[in-house]
Formats: sequence, C-alpha cells, structure tokens
Amino acid sequence: MDNEERQSRFALRTLLETSKMLVESQDPDFVLNNLLLITMGKLLVTRGIILIQNGSENSYRVSKIKGQNSLNEDDLITLPVDESILKKSVIQGTDHPELVEELGLSEEATLFNLRTTNHHLGFLCLGAKGNKQPLAHSELEFIESLAIISSVAIANSRMFQELRLINRKLDRKVHDLHTLLELSKDFNLMVDQDEIARTFKFAMLGQMLIRTFFFALDIDDERSLISSSGLKEKPSQEELKKLYELDDVFYCNEEHDCPFLDKNNIRLVIALRFQNEKIGVVGVGAPANKEEYGSEEVNFLQSLGNLALLAIQKTMLLEERIENKRMEEELELARTIQEGLFPSPVPEISGFDLKATNISSRQVGGDYFDVVETPDGGHILAIADVTGKGVPASLLMANLQSMLHALAPIDITLSAATDSINNIIHHNTPADKFITFFWGKISECGTYFEYVNAGHNNPLLFREGEKKPVELDKGGVILGAMESIMPYESETIELKKNDVLVLYTDGVTESMNPDKTEEYGEERLEACIQNNLTKSSQEIMDAVIEDIKAYSNNTQYDDITLLVIKVS
Amino acid sequence: MKNFSIATRQNQNVSILDISGELDAHTASQLENALKSLIDNENYSIVVNCSGLDYIASAGLGVFMAYIEDVRSLGGDIKLTDMNDRVYNVFDLLGFPTLYDILDSEQEALQSFNN
Repeated sequence: MDNEERQSRFALRTLLETSKMLVESQDPDFVLNNLLLITMGKLLVTRGIILIQNGSENSYRVSKIKGQNSLNEDDLITLPVDESILKKSVIQGTDHPELVEELGLSEEATLFNLRTTNHHLGFLCLGAKGNKQPLAHSELEFIESLAIISSVAIANSRMFQELRLINRKLDRKVHDLHTLLELSKDFNLMVDQDEIARTFKFAMLGQMLIRTFFFALDIDDERSLISSSGLKEKPSQEELKKLYELDDVFYCNEEHDCPFLDKNNIRLVIALRFQNEKIGVVGVGAPANKEEYGSEEVNFLQSLGNLALLAIQKTMLLEERIENKRMEEELELARTIQEGLFPSPVPEISGFDLKATNISSRQVGGDYFDVVETPDGGHILAIADVTGKGVPASLLMANLQSMLHALAPIDITLSAATDSINNIIHHNTPADKFITFFWGKISECGTYFEYVNAGHNNPLLFREGEKKPVELDKGGVILGAMESIMPYESETIELKKNDVLVLYTDGVTESMNPDKTEEYGEERLEACIQNNLTKSSQEIMDAVIEDIKAYSNNTQYDDITLLVIKVS
Repeated sequence: MKNFSIATRQNQNVSILDISGELDAHTASQLENALKSLIDNENYSIVVNCSGLDYIASAGLGVFMAYIEDVRSLGGDIKLTDMNDRVYNVFDLLGFPTLYDILDSEQEALQSFNN
C-alpha cells in the first residue's frame, strides 16, 4: 500500500466518521466547531474562521475563529461578495486578495463555500498551510466534501430548531385556547361576582406572567376596581374616569394624562364592551420575562376579559331576577295578610244598607276597613291608611286590627280607646310610621253615630235636600305621631232616613288623570255621590269606582277603599 | 368537590407546602390562603412540593405570580420541586423557569435555602 493510497483511505474514513457525527448532531455550533478543527488539523493550518451569513447579503457573523486574528467571535463584518464568488465552491485568496484581506488572512488562504442546493450559509476560511504550499487537489476535494456534509447538517439542524420553535408556539397557542375553554366552563359554574373577578385575575397573572393587574367595572354608572394585584396605589375617581376615556386598546407609552398608569407601571389597558357599552377596563403591568405585548396577547386578554365580563353580567341578571322574585313573593304575602284582615263577608246591620270594598294596587298599600258588632248591640265602622306599602304596612295594619278587635267589646269611650291605640302605636313603631284612622259607632238603636277622626280623610255625610255633605272632622292627630297629650275629641250625630255616609281612603281622591297632572279630588267625588244619592249603597259605590276608573284611564297607583252606608 | 389538597410542613426554617391533585380556577384560592397564612406568620422561605400535582391551570400559576415579589422583597423565596413532566411543561410554556427556581427534588431546594 503506497502512501497516497493510505492517505486517501484515511481521508475516506475521516469523511465517513465525520459525516456520521455531523449529520446526527442537531447542534449547529457543534458541527461548525468540528468542521473547523478537523480541517485545520488535517491541513495543518493555524488560522481558521467560519463565517455565517447574517440576514442581508454581504453581512456575515464570525461564528468560530481559531488562531491569531484581529476579529472576534460574533463580530459582524461586511464582505465584498458577489454572484461570481457565490457560484464557486472553492475561492482562492490569490484570486480575491481584497476578500481575504478583510478577514486578516494572507493570499495563500482558501475559502470554501458552505451551501446547500438552495442556500448559501457562509464560508469556511482556512489560512495558509504551515509550509506555505498551495492546497493539493486531493486536499481540496476532501475539504469540499466535508463542507458539503457540514452544510447539510447545519441546514438540517436549523430546520429542526425552526420546527421546534414552531412546535412550541403551537403548544403555547393550544395552551391559550385550553385556558380560554376551561375558564369559560369555570365561569359558567360561578354565581359570585368576586369569585369570577379573582379567577380572572389569577388566570391573567399566570398566563401573561405579570405581577401588576387591575380590573375596573362600571355598574349602574358606579366605577370601581373589583380586583387587582401588585398596585402601589388605587386610582382616584378622576383617574378611573380617565381610564374609561382611553382607546379600546391602549399602550401606555402613548401620550395620556392618567398618572395612575405610570405610578403603577401599567403597560397595556384594554376596554371590555357589552352591547357596545364600555363596561370594564383591564390593565396589565410588564410581563416578567420582558417580552412586549403583541397582538396575540391583546387578543388573549380581550377574549378572557370578555368571558369574565359576560359571566359577571350573568350573575347580575341572576341577582336581579332573584330580587324581583323575592319582591313578588313579598307583595303576595302582603296581599294575603291584608285580605285576611278585611271582614268577609261585610256584616249586615239591620236598618242600614252597607257596602264596602278594597281594590288593592300592585304595590299593596296599607288600607284597612272593618265592621265589628259590639256586645251592646252597636256596630263599629272603621277605616285606616297605614304609611308605606308591602309587608311592613300590612303588619302594622294587622296590629291595628287586633287592637280594634280587642277594644271593641270593652266598655270604654271611643275617645279613650283612641288614646290607647295611639300610645301603643307610638311606642311600638318607628317614628316614620303613622296611621290615619277613622272609626265610629252606630248605636244599638241605630239613631246615633259617635265618631273619632284621627287624621283620616274626612268621611262625607250626605243628607237629603242639602247641597253640601257634612264632613266628619272631629278627633285629633294621626295615630303614632306623638303620645296622646290632648284626649281625642269625639262627636255624636243623629242619623236620619236616607242619610248616606261615605268613608274612603286617599287612593280614591288621589287617583291621577293619565297625564298625571291632576288628582281626582274631593269635588269630583262629592259630585259623583250627589248624582247617585237616590240609589242603593252598591250602586253608589259602583258609580264612584267607575268614575275613578274613567278619570284615571284604569291606572291605579294606590289602594282604593270605599265604605258606603245608607240609612234605610 | 374538586380533587385538590394542600398540607404544610416545617423543616427547620423552611416551610414546605405539599400540593396534590388538580390546581385550577376552583382550587386556586386554597393555595392562595395557604401562601397568605405562611407570609402572615413570617415564613418567607417556602418550598412547594408538587410531587402529587396532576394538573395545573393558569389560575394556579397566577397565585405564584401574585406572591413571589412580596416573598422576595421580605428576603425569602418560593421554590418549586418534584413536578411531573406534564405539569412542568405548562410552567415551561408560560416562561416560569426564568423567574422561579424549579428544582428536581425537595432536598435540593432545602439545601439551596440553607446556603
């Protein structure tokens, strides 16, 4: 075996082993370092450089450098490289002295083009051999082969890295979507606004790798922070207002006049809209890994923010519905209490034609009327209106009813009984609760009517042949306002045949016309009764109610209670 | 009820939280409360042992973000250990390894606190 053959076998084995090692490696750095070391060792060259094209055409980065040279690794240099050079696979320094000079190498240097079929990657630059001899043909072939293998290995590993990067980006996207999906399910299960806001906060902190976060919400024109993290200072109302005036996607390095953003290092503010109204504002600080916010982050933030906002809107609607339902139930309860207090049926009193009715409004007012027989054979008529509406009013009414029923059988004067009722109501109810109250007693013989009026609308007594009704106004102040200092006054009137006595609550006279500009009023009531005086109590009552309905166009705001009694 | 549990141990001056199960939007507040109470009791050297952790969602990661700076400003740290690959992958995807000490074993974390 001659020397030449031994050398070429050695070269082949080196090529084989190197190619195996290089192709298997996915680390371009490793490939390039080996390429340089092997070729320098093989040719006994003391200076070598690997240049990798850096973006633009003539710009190269010093990837590896061995031996004495003024260049350093990672230096960027611009080389006079043109098409003719790029076409060659081997470039002799003697043909391009200007090129090798740029690299700090002598003219004996040789450059090998590192390229694949489609791409120029860079150059392997080898300085002069130790013995200053030009490279032999076999040596050139050997290095060329190595350069080709290395180029393919680098291209492969680049592609591999690119794929890995794409894969990671995809993984991240999948994770983002997974987070959105999972949270939309989680939000759906939550009925508590604070829990939703807190979950939104933690998801943002974790997903965006941030420390600073705020979430402001506008509920019925009240703006406030409902969750935050890492804030040095909360925004003032003025600053909150400014936050709502920013663009829907606002990068805080743009000009603005909200000091809160700079004090807390907020970088990005995003508006959340519901039915085109700006309901929420979300702000985030810098991401901890120092990446800037791009459109992907903005999209993610908007998506997650809108999910949270919808979930919160849903809880508010739910609360509203529950509240409405509760109120409905309360009104129903009030109505039931009230209905239970009215005498049913209205008792009959011999020698009298008595009719009474209560039409309760949707709100359920505090009207009350009663007819009670006393042990001495007399009859008590009562009418009252409690302040307020709903359950509280009906409870107070129930109170009054039980006192009235307890006192009716006792032999005390109406005046003294009214004193007692007033004192009890005054002591047992808050200062803003009153009752207008009228009661009177028809004597056993049916001839006399004694009454006390405690601040109630004056009942009207119509007499045959008299133009104006008598107003029953003797008594005293409304019940519950103050302790009885002056005894309630009472008055006794004599009842005559065909007298018509009408007791009513303010729901009658305060019925409004459709424009809500004028009340029905006492004059209309008097006129209506006057026109129907010859009729029965039922007919008089029906006439009044028809008249009110026509006047108010069937719109009722308060309870209407009417009691008509006619002496037969 | 979600399958998540949390327990606290003490190893000299280091507090160890053993978390296991699924850490998500519904269970994140449990971790938050545990971290809060450690901080309130002036335990700032914290190791979170994740060996029993099967799943972590972004809300769970957010809890760590919310407290890390407080703990560090008080001279302590939160170190995470013993994660399975799937859990680590989520931490990695979101960039946590650049911010947090994520170690293979609790022992390593204890040693690094003692140094």
